[in-house]
Amino acid sequence: MIVWAVFTLILSSVSALGQSGLYGDEFHEELVLKQLPSGHVYSYFQFTTLWENGGDQPNHHCHLFPQSLSEVLHLYNVDEMHLSLTGGLWRHENWGYPVVSAPPGAELWAWFKEGTHDVDKKWTLLSNALSGLFCASLNFINPQQSPSPKYSFAPLGAYGSASQNRSLLRYSTLPREIVCTENLTPFKKLLPCDSKKGLSSLLNAGNIHNANYHSLGIHVRPQCKDENCHETVLELKQTVSLVYDLIILGQESRDWSFRKLFGVGLAGPCPLAKSSKIYVDCSTNATTFDYNLSPDPTEFINSNRGGYNTVFAVYDIKKTHIINMFSVSATHKGPRVQSIISPPVIHATRYIVGYGQEHGGIVTKIHNNHWKEIDITLFENIPWFLPTYYHTLKITANGGKQVLKPYAKHYLPGRDRSRPYTLEFLVTLPPRSVTEIYLEFDYSFLKWQEYPPDANHGFYVGAAAITTLLPHTKNYTGVPIDGSTFSSSINASRDTYPVTLHTEILLVTLPTPDFSMPYNVICLACTVVALAFGPLHNHTTKRLQMLDPSEETKGVIANLRQRLNSFLTQSTKAKEQSSPAPSEVIKSPQKEEAACGSKVTSRKKDRAAKSS
Amino acid sequence: MSYMFSFLALCCLLHLVPLHSCESAIDSRIPEGFQKGTHTNNWAVLVDTSRFWFNYRHVANVLSIYRSVKRLGIPDSQIILMVADDMPCNLRNPRPATVFNNANEHINVYGDDVEVDYRGYEVTVENFLRLLIGRLPPGTPRSKQLLSDEGSNVLVYLTGHGGDGFLKFQDSEEISSQELADAVEQMWQKRRYNEMFFVIDTCQASSMYDKMYSPNVLAVASSLVGEDSLSHHVDPAIGVYIIDRYTYYALDFLERVEPDSRKTLGEFLKVCPKRLCISTVGVRRDLFRRNPDKVLITDFFGAVRPVEVVAAMDTNWPQSTNLAFKNSTLQVSYKKTKQSNLKHVYSPQFPLKT
Amino acid sequence: MGLSNLSRSLILEYVFAFVLRVWLYNSEFKTTIIGRVEVSTPVNSWKRVTEGVVLQKDGVNPYSGDMFHESPVGLAIYSQLIEYASPYLPGIFILLDLITGHLLYLTAVEYMKHLMRRQEEDKAEFSEDVKDLLLSQKDVERQPLYVVAAYLFNPYILFNTVAQTTTVFSNICLAASFLFMAKGNRWGSCVTISFATLQSLYPIVLIVPAAICVGYHTLPIKKPQKLTKARAIAPVKLDIYQKMLPKSLRSVNSTHWITSMATTIGLFFVMLTSLLFLSCHLSGGWEFLHSVYGFMLLVPDLRPNIGLFWYFFTEMFEHFRLLYLWAFQMNALVLYLLPLSLRTRRDPILLAASLTGITAMFKSYPSLGDVGFYLSLLPMWAHIFPCKKFFLSFFSLNLLVLFNKEKNSVADLQQGFIVLAAFIITSVLGPTVWHLWIYARSANANFYFGVGLAFAIAQIFLITDILLSYTKREFILRHGTSTLLHGKHGKLVLA
Repeated sequence: MIVWAVFTLILSSVSALGQSGLYGDEFHEELVLKQLPSGHVYSYFQFTTLWENGGDQPNHHCHLFPQSLSEVLHLYNVDEMHLSLTGGLWRHENWGYPVVSAPPGAELWAWFKEGTHDVDKKWTLLSNALSGLFCASLNFINPQQSPSPKYSFAPLGAYGSASQNRSLLRYSTLPREIVCTENLTPFKKLLPCDSKKGLSSLLNAGNIHNANYHSLGIHVRPQCKDENCHETVLELKQTVSLVYDLIILGQESRDWSFRKLFGVGLAGPCPLAKSSKIYVDCSTNATTFDYNLSPDPTEFINSNRGGYNTVFAVYDIKKTHIINMFSVSATHKGPRVQSIISPPVIHATRYIVGYGQEHGGIVTKIHNNHWKEIDITLFENIPWFLPTYYHTLKITANGGKQVLKPYAKHYLPGRDRSRPYTLEFLVTLPPRSVTEIYLEFDYSFLKWQEYPPDANHGFYVGAAAITTLLPHTKNYTGVPIDGSTFSSSINASRDTYPVTLHTEILLVTLPTPDFSMPYNVICLACTVVALAFGPLHNHTTKRLQMLDPSEETKGVIANLRQRLNSFLTQSTKAKEQSSPAPSEVIKSPQKEEAACGSKVTSRKKDRAAKSS
Repeated sequence: MSYMFSFLALCCLLHLVPLHSCESAIDSRIPEGFQKGTHTNNWAVLVDTSRFWFNYRHVANVLSIYRSVKRLGIPDSQIILMVADDMPCNLRNPRPATVFNNANEHINVYGDDVEVDYRGYEVTVENFLRLLIGRLPPGTPRSKQLLSDEGSNVLVYLTGHGGDGFLKFQDSEEISSQELADAVEQMWQKRRYNEMFFVIDTCQASSMYDKMYSPNVLAVASSLVGEDSLSHHVDPAIGVYIIDRYTYYALDFLERVEPDSRKTLGEFLKVCPKRLCISTVGVRRDLFRRNPDKVLITDFFGAVRPVEVVAAMDTNWPQSTNLAFKNSTLQVSYKKTKQSNLKHVYSPQFPLKT
Repeated sequence: MGLSNLSRSLILEYVFAFVLRVWLYNSEFKTTIIGRVEVSTPVNSWKRVTEGVVLQKDGVNPYSGDMFHESPVGLAIYSQLIEYASPYLPGIFILLDLITGHLLYLTAVEYMKHLMRRQEEDKAEFSEDVKDLLLSQKDVERQPLYVVAAYLFNPYILFNTVAQTTTVFSNICLAASFLFMAKGNRWGSCVTISFATLQSLYPIVLIVPAAICVGYHTLPIKKPQKLTKARAIAPVKLDIYQKMLPKSLRSVNSTHWITSMATTIGLFFVMLTSLLFLSCHLSGGWEFLHSVYGFMLLVPDLRPNIGLFWYFFTEMFEHFRLLYLWAFQMNALVLYLLPLSLRTRRDPILLAASLTGITAMFKSYPSLGDVGFYLSLLPMWAHIFPCKKFFLSFFSLNLLVLFNKEKNSVADLQQGFIVLAAFIITSVLGPTVWHLWIYARSANANFYFGVGLAFAIAQIFLITDILLSYTKREFILRHGTSTLLHGKHGKLVLA
């Protein structure tokens, strides 16, 4: 009992430290819930840790910042790092834009500190370390397969200069990576309260992986400490994005609650958190949907951002007195209404064309629903086993009627087994258009040991990334670059709103050899070579001679055959004896065959000896 | 603290003396009820070598053992778990993020805080052998290393599809019993274990330990050469066999073991008699110097010894006295950075049109 | 119009070949043919050439990637072609093909003349009963026509032209080098062979027959008295083999041969080196060496073709790869070079043809264009084996010589039927099993590889048989057709 009291005392004192920011470190936990027009529920967790001296002081105590991660970052000279582990595909067309975008599978990109010499080596070590930290196969990332994009993936942090040395950037995706509990466990361990208390206690493996879309994100960057921005703090943003299909969750109704989504209620805030808030986007309430929230929120916030209004119901868990378990639930009133989904400004889709396993093409379709032209960057990273023909690149809009010319382009042709085909370009999309980007490729034939154990499953091609600046915030939920927490996106009007979209990943079935054949193939091919070698060797080392066949010493079988042949020849000869024209003797087929037959057998013997 | 230290020292000293001569001496000197093991730490290497959904049961096997050793106290940092395919989050799994040991969904062996160290394509013969003998490429994270020493009791558990003298990995390569035996010998020569308990659940399993020749290895196999190891039952909801017989009964046994249990290895070796297993459980004791009947099961399946924290406050109070000091250093560095009047800026997120 | 019968049929052949090609270019088969792996390999496909040209135009070094494997000199030519003549490309390719045909015709004419001359020279030594075997004036006139027909109506060559592979360029280089060889032109053959080598490496072996050819043509005028003297001193030493040599070679003037061959080979290497330096200058670095020759030698691309490399190195164990790469490349390049050169030195054109054949079989990325080229050379030796029959049945389009009867061949092609059948069957079966494997997915790689093996074996039989027939004929010419040895029937064997 006493121990417990002491423990609580310590905890509360520590939490007091955290809140008062004695070290200048802060931890915020936020949960955003949004009912999407398609009826899905989008829940977004953001755990933000700000480490005051993280940027400059490698040896300082981490306090709230996870030590394991800080060591890795300092050891490998990382300025900023973005890792996402995602299952499922974010459907922009129906769901709008997520707060943070991530492609299916694993994505890792990092900017290294200025003056890092061996970026490739550091990158390998970084991905290895992260693979251990997050139980993911990130160690399969190798420097050869990791390009340095030229236009996309600009640094998100605040730096001494805005100049970007692109050789310090590395980008890689593992589209095949599966995300499961073993990734969530270490993710939660990085949080100051683990999953014991606070919003992270809502992250239950069973309920997360039941979602249509689930994505874990780790984002580290230096962030301005204040508005003057003479100093930076290290910001760690841990995000979990989930999209639930309420129908799959079991019940017919569109009602949702914490218990339904996460399986449990909330016991209370993380004591170390400076703020602990839940935002429910009610903008569509009373228009598309009609539901009651219970309990009543602490307050309603009206966020006007770039001309678009969003209403958030805010629950401040710190201020809420929780008796038992806290749960937000939405109860729909009226009948079910199918709402019209207005797609966002830019969305894209990608697929493979062609049949068979010889030639194919990749088509990326980008929709621009805005009334004005929009500039985009497209980044394609096609693995080496799909050799791509750059000259077949066609960018057309409106069903091929309009040919677009990119105003900046960067192409790096791939190399077998060592470098992917990287294509990146900037193009202006015409207003209200569908732009089609087409590239042809060949299917590669790999060595048998290069195929994975499940070769017939196919090979994945990572998602293409589209970066653009949105003109307005419809369907946009992103946090502004100068803010850390989700709350900073409230009333954050800017000139443009940067967004990155990821397309689908592609599955390509490469032709396979017969995996059980190596010995046979090696033997057969060598036999054919020996088949040429034998006669040519004979021909070049021996001379034609007229020999008495009886004097030759031969093998048993050849001898028998010889005798048989000569017997046959004798009997036919006897008939031809009357007119033995010499030229005919030579041409006599039996004669020839006899000679040839014996030669063939001896040749065969040669070969047998060689191939064995 | 110092007691602990001297005890460790004693253990080490004793270890230098040939064990077989003084084993009885140790036994007599240490009072009854006290830990008599010769080891100082525990490691577990748990490997499932099978890919594809229809091999669900092998994942359930390996996770059963994982669950047990974790429950009995081996921390995740000392368990190397290799799982060749993703069953819990497989799209075919009707209950995502779970793996059950029986059709009644009695135990979710996957649990809520599992850490898989090698998964998917990483489970290869090469990685497995490198892990055992410790010759890993530079940059391998700690969680993927077997950092055992001469005081470690190592539990090695393998499951998958095997034959006479080999075990298949992912249906594309195989490890032979000779390779395995040589790896174990290399471990012994490199002092990477004190004692090893080798468990294998596969067809013709006993062929995998036949070639072993290194000391202090106790091996148990789910079947003898010429026998198949059979699965236990089907879960109609999942549609495949969900666990193998031997591991099912082993888990059944281990579930009844508590960290302070007095159950012995001898009892574990009797798990799954032929009427339950249908195959004969093979045991090889000739390399092992102790009598399994006198070895606690927690010598291999549990953490080395329970530690009670008695002075929680001791470690905490000095922090407050240190605070001022830390604060001052912090201030210094704070000033340093403050001196630079550099203005930090955010990069443009989109390349500017030129 | 004083056109002879011969020129008329020649012109007819060209016109017909032209029409055939124009038709194929405009037919629906064109796209199918272009995509065929048997025709377009990574080193000769026009699609990859276009890729390289476009990359270069867009400021990307085409040798930094793994898509382009032509030499920088080739790249310069192709980019000019694509830049200025892309609408006329089919016409250019057809024209190049017809020129290749004509070059081969001239080669054959020259070669037949040479054979006739040699026959006259050596006639005194021939046996009495071989009159039927001798080359007749009719052969001399006809055989060049067969060569042209075998080239222009060879389906393999047709595919090759229609697919616009760069093998068309290497074939014209090769044809020119054959002509220069037949004429004994040192500069010409060196230039053409070095261009061919620059493009596809393997023709480097042709420099040896070229050097021998040049050696013959630059021989000092014979001194008969010296020859008789030599004979008188050591008549016993002239065994069968020395007898078989043409007279010109018997008066071996070793210093002449050494200097002549060294000059030719030296000239060749000077030219090749300067071409390489030119390439380096054009591409701005030596990166192309790895992309062009490294690619051919190390075989990183395992796309199936008609050769042996692809599946062999797909299934190869990694630690043996280098060993077998060496073995296979030696087999294609140097293994047979010295022995065959020594053995066939009296007929360097035959040597050149067989070396072309061997490399076409055993090179890392062979295509049907390579096979078609050496096949069309073979009618030059129509007098030693019934290859007319062979070609007629295979390229049945060659109506001109359809009813030409054999009468004077000595040696049968031992596996003539097998070879013919194998050529026809594999040509049909290959695309079929390819479709089954790649599109229908009901067959696997083994099927296609099996067809490739059969094709390779057929080619091996063909080449070894021709060499053997040639030797037999030489033997018989000097010893008569009788097989009697010490009153008994003897047997001709290689011993």
